[in-house]
Amino acid sequence: MKAMIIDITKCNGCYACQIACKDEHVANDWTPIAKPQPDTGQFWMKTKDIVRGQVPRVKVAYMHHICQHCDEAPCLKACKMGAIYKREDGTVIIDPVKCSGHKLCIDACPYGVIYYNNDLQIAQKCTWCAHLLDKGWKEPRCVDSCPTGALQFGEEEDLKDLIARAEMLLPEANVGPRIYYIGLPKRFVAGGVYDPEEDECVEDATVSLKDAAGKEVATAKTDGFGDFWFDGLGVGVYSMRVEKSGYVPIEIIDISTEQDINIGDLELSKSAQ
Amino acid sequence: MSSDSDARSRENASEKTVIKGACFSGFGDNSTPTCVDVKDNKIVRIRPLHWDWKYEPEDFNPWKYEARGKTFEPPLKAPVPPHGLAYKKRVYSPNRILYPLKRVDWDPAGAPGSTGPGGRNPQNRGISKYERISWDEALDIVAAEIRRVVDTYGPEGVLLQAEGHSEGKVIHAPHGCSTYLMNLLGGYTQQIRNPDSWEGWYWGAKHVWGNEPVGLNFEYASNMYNDVAKNTEMLICQGCDQETTPWGFGGGTLPSLLSYWYTDLGIKQIYISPDLNYAAAVHADKWIPILPNTDVALQLALAYQWIVNDTYDKEYVETHVVGFEKFADYVLGKEDGVPKTPKWASEKCGVPSRTIKALAKQWGSKRTTVAHGQGGPMIRGPYSSEPARMEVCLLGMQGLGKPGVNQLNFVEGTMLGSYNRVRSGRPGVVGMQTPASIVRPHVGAAYRGYIPFMWKQESLIPKPLLHDVIDTGSYDIYGSADQMDPVDDQFKHYVYPLPGKNEIHMMWSDTPCFTTCWNDGNAFHRSMRNPKIECILVQHPWMENDCLFADIILPSNTKFETSDIGADHWPVQYNCVYLEEQAIEPRGETMSDYEVVVAIADRLGLKEEYTQGRSVDDWIKVGFDGSGMEKAGLCSWEEIQDKKYYVIPTDPDWEKIPHGMIEFYEDPEKYPMTTPSGKLEFYSQRLAENFPDDMERPPVPHWVEKSEFHDERLSSERARTYTLLVISNHPRWRVHAQMDDVNWFHEIETGKVRGADGYPYEPVWLHPSEAEKRGIKNGDVVTIFNERGKVLGGAYITERIMPGVVYIDHGARYDPIVPGELDRGGAINTICPHKTTSKNCAGMVTSGFLAEVERTDLDALRKQYPEAFSRPFDRGSGQTFERVLHKGEETR
Repeated sequence: MKAMIIDITKCNGCYACQIACKDEHVANDWTPIAKPQPDTGQFWMKTKDIVRGQVPRVKVAYMHHICQHCDEAPCLKACKMGAIYKREDGTVIIDPVKCSGHKLCIDACPYGVIYYNNDLQIAQKCTWCAHLLDKGWKEPRCVDSCPTGALQFGEEEDLKDLIARAEMLLPEANVGPRIYYIGLPKRFVAGGVYDPEEDECVEDATVSLKDAAGKEVATAKTDGFGDFWFDGLGVGVYSMRVEKSGYVPIEIIDISTEQDINIGDLELSKSAQ
Repeated sequence: MSSDSDARSRENASEKTVIKGACFSGFGDNSTPTCVDVKDNKIVRIRPLHWDWKYEPEDFNPWKYEARGKTFEPPLKAPVPPHGLAYKKRVYSPNRILYPLKRVDWDPAGAPGSTGPGGRNPQNRGISKYERISWDEALDIVAAEIRRVVDTYGPEGVLLQAEGHSEGKVIHAPHGCSTYLMNLLGGYTQQIRNPDSWEGWYWGAKHVWGNEPVGLNFEYASNMYNDVAKNTEMLICQGCDQETTPWGFGGGTLPSLLSYWYTDLGIKQIYISPDLNYAAAVHADKWIPILPNTDVALQLALAYQWIVNDTYDKEYVETHVVGFEKFADYVLGKEDGVPKTPKWASEKCGVPSRTIKALAKQWGSKRTTVAHGQGGPMIRGPYSSEPARMEVCLLGMQGLGKPGVNQLNFVEGTMLGSYNRVRSGRPGVVGMQTPASIVRPHVGAAYRGYIPFMWKQESLIPKPLLHDVIDTGSYDIYGSADQMDPVDDQFKHYVYPLPGKNEIHMMWSDTPCFTTCWNDGNAFHRSMRNPKIECILVQHPWMENDCLFADIILPSNTKFETSDIGADHWPVQYNCVYLEEQAIEPRGETMSDYEVVVAIADRLGLKEEYTQGRSVDDWIKVGFDGSGMEKAGLCSWEEIQDKKYYVIPTDPDWEKIPHGMIEFYEDPEKYPMTTPSGKLEFYSQRLAENFPDDMERPPVPHWVEKSEFHDERLSSERARTYTLLVISNHPRWRVHAQMDDVNWFHEIETGKVRGADGYPYEPVWLHPSEAEKRGIKNGDVVTIFNERGKVLGGAYITERIMPGVVYIDHGARYDPIVPGELDRGGAINTICPHKTTSKNCAGMVTSGFLAEVERTDLDALRKQYPEAFSRPFDRGSGQTFERVLHKGEETR
């Protein structure tokens, strides 16, 4: 059975996967695997910019949305025409001839990755380029075009080390997805510490982060620019303590990670001699 | 597969795979080869060539890097960026010109400057529409006009605009095929290509360290990637975006892979730029936002910190530098009474003084290399010579050339440096940033296009002066601005027109992108209406930009419609030679740029001389023979015909080629720089002697607040009205003006912003705080404006840009609402400064200038300009060919 790894930490946002998918499927008819994708508006391999943080502590993650080729595919179960089937290699295919455009699969898909083709009146989605796999290709176009190795495809067995440290998108849907993500963006809290009197960034200050229950979740040392980053946090409310000997410690409370947050540059005052 | 019958059966088959290079630099060089699958005369797909498709890896000796206990082995496929993958959209673009066109109110029988029926009507250029004519009629007109202008004004009467960025083609060179023909007619006036991507390096850094031809470290780029991996602790990317600029210019996505690896190795990456550019977005350990074109203030403060804290390499400065004292005098304020402290700099550049101090401390204590990818905001502003010179001085203060202390370029590199060594006859091994291959292949023998330094005409016009020169009829300057000229040229006096010669009266362009890629496109538009210019001939595959001013347009085609030869000799993963077989039949009535000129030569009775009696197939063989592959015993003509490509093996001794500037570092006497002293010239005696009164480029690098030429600082009176500084980068989703019609890129968040009217507007980046002040919401149509005009765009509100700045890429297609005043397409260069870099630097200024942004009342504009807003456009790709056609032509 095939599986795909999407390593967000290796994605440079070049969109080659999204473009290659269009190159393969727009204006090309791969019946019985897929009919042509519309020129614009469908993204069987969709890349999305996620801009995280605020000036000057900002990062961009590139998220990828693609058919998960689920083992318990809800679309397959929802289709009244029996047009959706799972191949032995794990690929889920919407038969473009049998599909009669009821859109039930679109409603059933928890990942929102099935599109409706208004001209052809059929549902369409990623096929893992099964027409190419059947011709001996080792991987779909998006993977062949990925320059960084952020996308990998192959036998589940061969990918098991990566799968072991990967996570699933929407595990709660419990539908057995065959796409495994590494480095799904969580939340970060970042900031900087400086000494206003000396007009210097403060290096080696200890920053500790506590969750709402008061439990310490992480500590960090400020770097040469006085910066600290806590990444991989969940959504919640945190508090923070910054300390360094010779300075008055400071506490920041009610840090919400509803979004990634740069809490700004914090003044650390010298303690009285 | 080598027998004739096999070849025939492949030719007859409806399915085939051909190889095409996907580089967009346009000088006969190539890189990032792709496989193009074709069925029934249609391009099915374009995918990266896997180097090991028809070879075993050991045939080409795959290279890898090993450093700090880790290994870097790039995958065995060409690092093709998305432009290459989407290339077929360009071939099938609704904007393709498919037959010859003539401007309806341009009558070649009319007298020069004549207006009305039967006239030439130059005043209507940019406004009037076009009608289809036959190739016969078109060639008759073109040949007659060339003859007439040459006979009346001499060959200098014809200006060739024949250089630029475009497809990587060799025989069918998209630029400069015209030069060979005009040489047969006695010459021409040459539009000189300025160092458009390197302005500051060319005009500034060369005076410090030579490093010909463009002033970036190209001569000493060998094994630089490896040096960084092994020795560098901190990589500073100042205005550098290696996730953008290498895409179109040879590097492909290899710099991306390396940047990830450098992070794995623990090398800290610091990005100094007004925007969180695409590389910073994924690789930055620290982003230091800086106001556009204020880098020199930051740099001066770094030097100040190092001098007062004694944290620079004094021993090195003593042996490798001249003029340090005068430099230090300026930095410390002994020259002008202003010490260049972090606090002083902070007010200019917007970086907190404590951050400047921290950077000085880090840089002064860690082995630091500064990286560039060209075209960043740092070196295309007013006085760009200054930050470029300053950077070399800073590197010099920290022992430039020491392992790990260098300037790294993620693009081109030694390719240009090796040109220069060949020209100057200087010895030395020239490798690449990447491991060298045993031979650097070049198929230039077949190249029919513009070569920067080969045929420099006496009559010339530096491109950034073109509009001025047409309007004023003269110039009197120092330096021709030729991007490939050695620094000596900057002291040479040039005048136009040449004594006893005429001005230009005809323009022949295969480079129609001035409006959107050069300085003050609006002024260019106005000059195109000058009656002095009697005929404008353009040959181009797409109806875009300067095509709108043409009197006659000849349709050329893309590389997919021709047979050619290609070679990658850029510093990419592997050097490679390949036959670029024809993929599909030419679309419409198009011909390649070379074939267009052959047809004109034929009309002028010069076909035999022009083609040298050779067919395209003959030229392909000439190119292959010139590559030296067969001579070196690497690949025979038979093998390349069979396999279609050959990957040149990696030199087993690649690691022995000295890295970076290590030789100069170790022995500056034996391995001097090409400066007059052979050392790093912090003070340039030559500048002092030649331009004693130049306050914009004095003998030591300076901060210039304003001058007679420019007034583009936030301290300016103008900044009360135009409160933002514009930065304009080399575009991410285009290569300069190329590929703006690829609708697949428009669907990307930073590709285009879909306006309320459905039009794809060019993204205009604004910080949320600036947007809020102006009542602008994400996706709104906005107007960027200053005294030079107005440009529409689509608001992209983002934390990726600092407050006080507006960011828009250059190269969007010009779509004038009011010609010369108001543009809908987002061609920001229509309002960038008119004046050159500085008085004695005829470069262009396309970033770091003042403008204001406001929300656009689209309904009001539509009512005011119904014609402009009713022009047909394709919802996906934007402008279409039909919009320029005269009424009734659409049905033909």
